[in-house]
Amino acid sequence: MSLLSLGLVRGLIGQVLGTLTGMAVIVIARLLLGMPAWKEEPAWVLGMLFGGIGFLIGVGAMDDWSQWWKGHKTPMRHGAPPGQPEWTRYFGMDYNHKVIGIQYAVTGLIMLMIGGGFAVIFRTELARAGLQFLEPGTYNTVMSLHGWASLFSILIGIGGMANYVVPLMLGAADMAFPRLNAFAYWINVPAITLLLASAYFGWDGGWTVYPPLSLVGPLGYQFTFMAIFFLGFSSILGSLNLIATILLMRPPGMSLFRMPIFCWAILSTSFIQLTATQFIAQAFLMLSVSRSLGMGFFDPLKGGDPILFQHLFWFYSHPAVYVFVLPGLGIISEILPVFARKPLFGYRWIALSSVAIALVGFIVWGHHMFTSGYAPYLRVWFMISTLLVAVPTGVKFFSWLGTLWGGKLTFPTPMLFVLGSISVFLLGGLSGPVLATVASDQPLHDTYFVIGHFHATIFGGFVFPFFAAIYFWYPKITGRMYNETLGKLHFWLMTPAFWVMSVGQMTAGTMGMRRRIADYEPMLGGMVNDNLSRLEVVHIAITLAAFVIAFGILLMIYNLFHSAEMGKVAGNNPWRSRSPEWQIPSPIPEHSFAQPIHVVGDPYDYGLPGSYVSTAATAAGDD
Amino acid sequence: MPKSSSDRRHFIIAGVLVAIVTVLLDWGLNAALPFPAQASTESFTIDQLFRWHVLLIAFLFALVMVFMFYTFVVFRRREGDDTEGEHFEGNTTLEIAWTAIPLVLVVLFSFIGVNTLNEITRVEDNELVVKATGRQWAWTFEYEGGVVSPELKLPVNQRVHMVLQSEDVLHSFWVPEFRVKQDLVPGRETSLRFTPTLEGDYSVKCAELCGLTHWNMLAPVKVVPESEFTAWLQTEVAKVNPAVTSAETGKTTE
Repeated sequence: MSLLSLGLVRGLIGQVLGTLTGMAVIVIARLLLGMPAWKEEPAWVLGMLFGGIGFLIGVGAMDDWSQWWKGHKTPMRHGAPPGQPEWTRYFGMDYNHKVIGIQYAVTGLIMLMIGGGFAVIFRTELARAGLQFLEPGTYNTVMSLHGWASLFSILIGIGGMANYVVPLMLGAADMAFPRLNAFAYWINVPAITLLLASAYFGWDGGWTVYPPLSLVGPLGYQFTFMAIFFLGFSSILGSLNLIATILLMRPPGMSLFRMPIFCWAILSTSFIQLTATQFIAQAFLMLSVSRSLGMGFFDPLKGGDPILFQHLFWFYSHPAVYVFVLPGLGIISEILPVFARKPLFGYRWIALSSVAIALVGFIVWGHHMFTSGYAPYLRVWFMISTLLVAVPTGVKFFSWLGTLWGGKLTFPTPMLFVLGSISVFLLGGLSGPVLATVASDQPLHDTYFVIGHFHATIFGGFVFPFFAAIYFWYPKITGRMYNETLGKLHFWLMTPAFWVMSVGQMTAGTMGMRRRIADYEPMLGGMVNDNLSRLEVVHIAITLAAFVIAFGILLMIYNLFHSAEMGKVAGNNPWRSRSPEWQIPSPIPEHSFAQPIHVVGDPYDYGLPGSYVSTAATAAGDD
Repeated sequence: MPKSSSDRRHFIIAGVLVAIVTVLLDWGLNAALPFPAQASTESFTIDQLFRWHVLLIAFLFALVMVFMFYTFVVFRRREGDDTEGEHFEGNTTLEIAWTAIPLVLVVLFSFIGVNTLNEITRVEDNELVVKATGRQWAWTFEYEGGVVSPELKLPVNQRVHMVLQSEDVLHSFWVPEFRVKQDLVPGRETSLRFTPTLEGDYSVKCAELCGLTHWNMLAPVKVVPESEFTAWLQTEVAKVNPAVTSAETGKTTE
């Protein structure tokens, strides 16, 4: 077996060749126009664009479609390519949603470790005041990369959960458009290589890349713009596919209000992704052409306005925060009933609260811009609309309590992570209104308080539920149980450490610690003794907590690898879940359901004797 | 321990615990979230609003967490018990209640929010106008009469109207002790008002990422008695424009 038989390797070669082609086009065009042959920025920009296309051709994402264009039919491929071992499926084009789901989830975990790795680097720098080992330029690059690498991890990780679980929950054979599904995954890979390559040239704008700074900074910006442009394609195409799957591929008997609640979360999320991602793509495209073609969208000297960018950016990026957390909240609602052995309390309210959050999320973007200098009266509107988000979010929390109340609770690792995410997301949610109120936002805007709030929201809304989902579906995916002791150790290391980190960040913020600074004035919060300030104590605590969180995550990675070989055989339904995917063998065969299923009951009727969700359960002969 | 999950005693016990935890959390959070010195009228308004928010956070956090931990103790599976939990699917009255009550809180906090915003942005007669210019990575301050200073000197108890301008990228004007904050946007003037109330030395910190040494874009602020400020400004005006001043001095001697 040669390396070239792996789609990933062919894709990367295609990306290099594409990049060289793009550069050559620029060089030739410049020579024909009588200009000096080499100009770095336009050469790279066209190179990156061609490189992305080269990757997709190399990996084989266009193979079937190019046959279709010629009028040939192609059969749906199943299983590993002929003559290749099973594992090679994960490194090339494969149309099975379960393979694509794993590809997404593993890529998401890798990006989580890369993004977290960047954080650990600059956290170490910030532990003490003074510049220790990072140059200010390097600090800014690493800090900015932490932002986008982590957001890649979230968007890709969500893709993992949605792609693996949603078709199974619907009893569907696959996603609505399997080839598009594979395409949407693989376009992430050139996006990742570009994002990581941006580190070589550097960029210093933080994840928000506000102009004019992003128009005058180093070439790394262009890499970031193009990386996010590709990632955005993945979001749009993936969400389109999920909406089509959820709306059209439900089995007979499954009305919308009989769907597993996670599908409601994914439906709401996909609606945002399908309609809002275009705005950030447009905003970043405008930045890119401002740099390479000298256009003046955001340059006041050319009639542009820097604040316009902030509107475009946040019109996507605020709803995007709900993209990050809604699937996680769906996981919480999905897993709680299983370990409470009770129906989900207020199913319709939880389902519709996801839709409400998604819709209200579109009209709150201006709360990121209270100090930006837009028309002052707008701040009142954005304050009120933002506070309104608390209402549907509150419905979720209280309904979760209703689900726990009167249950028979057990606490294996996935349940611990679900409960951890409720507590952490509560901290994130409750620290929101104080930022949404214009006057109390004034001293907190662009400080570490916002950092603490945001990390609590994202850990509670994505990281904890993602880990819960991994532990929960692990026996279904591998057929073996993860190591429970290691799983619990991971939880008990990560949760207290996260609390120290997040509250510590809020403390630093009220003391006056600004965001995105390579060094700080140690005496902001007063001194403990002659050598040590209070702010430094807080920073040391945050840094140590970051190390503990990182260690906990490495422990999980070890657990996942180790248990795949050594874990004890889990059986088909170790959690005694009612959901259709637990009624079929573990690991799931290539064609998930032997027969099409019919839905005959509600998804969470735990404790109702003689009730079944679907014919898959009666066929399996247990509940 | 009561057996049925709808037994009133559960809610009485949990309710008492919520009250206790709220008080403890409110105290703990206020200790964990210290602000710098209060040096402007805005700092008092804003800090009071912040403390109201902290009380709300303490109450809601206690409410959810106490009930959650209560279920861990009371509703956990006992050894040897293989039965399922109670079967109830929801309660519309409860759902409406916990939609409506937060809605009332939203209206209340919107009302308080609008009032505090009006208070901190109020315009007064006789404001001292100072023009601040930000550039990578330094500040300058310009007073009436063409006085330019690298230090922001302000009279105590006098409302200040900062007119903010940037020469290159975005910056943000922030003195933590004054609380309020405003971005500087190239191509337009933005403005910020506050009234310093405490004499002392502070510093302006740029609060919007502006490139390589953003962290170090600082400028000293000195709040001094009004007489000292007037005297300083007159000397500075004299330095800048001796002709005008000598003409004025000439007038006064006449």
